[in-house]
Amino acid sequence: MGLFSKRPKRIFSIGSSVCLTLGLVLGAGNTAHAHQPIMDMAPRWSNGYGIQTRVEHANSETTTWLEGVYTFKPSVRMTLKIPTVDGETGDAILAVPLKRYVNKGAFTSNWGITPSVRMPTGGGSDWDAGLSVSYSSETRDFYQLYDVYALGDGRGLDINIGSVHANGKGSSWFTLWDVSAFDSDSGQRILTGPVVVYFKRNLVLRAEYKFSAYDNDDDWKGDFFSFGIGIVY
Amino acid sequence: MFTKITAAALLIMLLSSPAFSQNYVVNVHGIVCEFCTYGVAKNVRKLDFIDKTQFEDGVKVDIDNQMVYVAVRKDAALKQDVLFEAIESGGYKPVKIWSINDAGEKTELK
Repeated sequence: MGLFSKRPKRIFSIGSSVCLTLGLVLGAGNTAHAHQPIMDMAPRWSNGYGIQTRVEHANSETTTWLEGVYTFKPSVRMTLKIPTVDGETGDAILAVPLKRYVNKGAFTSNWGITPSVRMPTGGGSDWDAGLSVSYSSETRDFYQLYDVYALGDGRGLDINIGSVHANGKGSSWFTLWDVSAFDSDSGQRILTGPVVVYFKRNLVLRAEYKFSAYDNDDDWKGDFFSFGIGIVY
Repeated sequence: MFTKITAAALLIMLLSSPAFSQNYVVNVHGIVCEFCTYGVAKNVRKLDFIDKTQFEDGVKVDIDNQMVYVAVRKDAALKQDVLFEAIESGGYKPVKIWSINDAGEKTELK
């Protein structure tokens, strides 16, 4: 298997939703998802930055992601995701999430547009462009995210919906349900499953599991697992 | 003699007692999650008029009511525009601010 094939293509849709979901560190769930590699929502503050590592297992292959984010101001941030498979670096994804926030009372939401590019750092020569359009909102108890995206020859839809359990002392749990639909030259698939995210101050942990609800994708088989840990400043 | 000693002791106690900080509370729209509070609190703590001996390093966030409590040093003055700017750069929208007296009563600042 060449490096080029190690692009996280397969992972693409999977974690993505989650990514967005928390924007957090864990946002990573999907490998190929170009946007908000790390934090879709955090760091939301000007000059904030963060790093996370995430391990994904799918298609009998384990991918380790190293991801970073820098927030110039709440509406503009930059993210970089670098995958490693079997010790070899794959194609990195650079993205620029642009957001328009609305804060009103006990409600916050945002529309996002994220241009991205997948670079041939894994040894190939192809550059892939990507774009995503997303919406997410959050209250004290509820979180939802919808994201439509395309990157290279793939396109997908991610939905994350669930509850938020905050303890009022700096930590909280997100228990979400993820639905990820993905279409590419190799076919279509829909994966779905639970996502759990834990925040403590500026530390974030995330775990997810997804199974195939529909699979007509020649490049995909089996379930998907992901675990990540990240920190923001 | 006893009266003089008592008076001297009281005077020493008064002079040595720490200065009380001035507390304020800001209504901040959108601040609904624990993770949201980190960036706002981080920005506010950097301000030179914050009394870090109060609350949690000078700041306390109540996400149930979207309120951010800040303690200002007794020997400093609140700079409302600077405080609001720090909260906005944290990603949220400050809309109102009140001072809080020792009895816990709030007075809105204009």
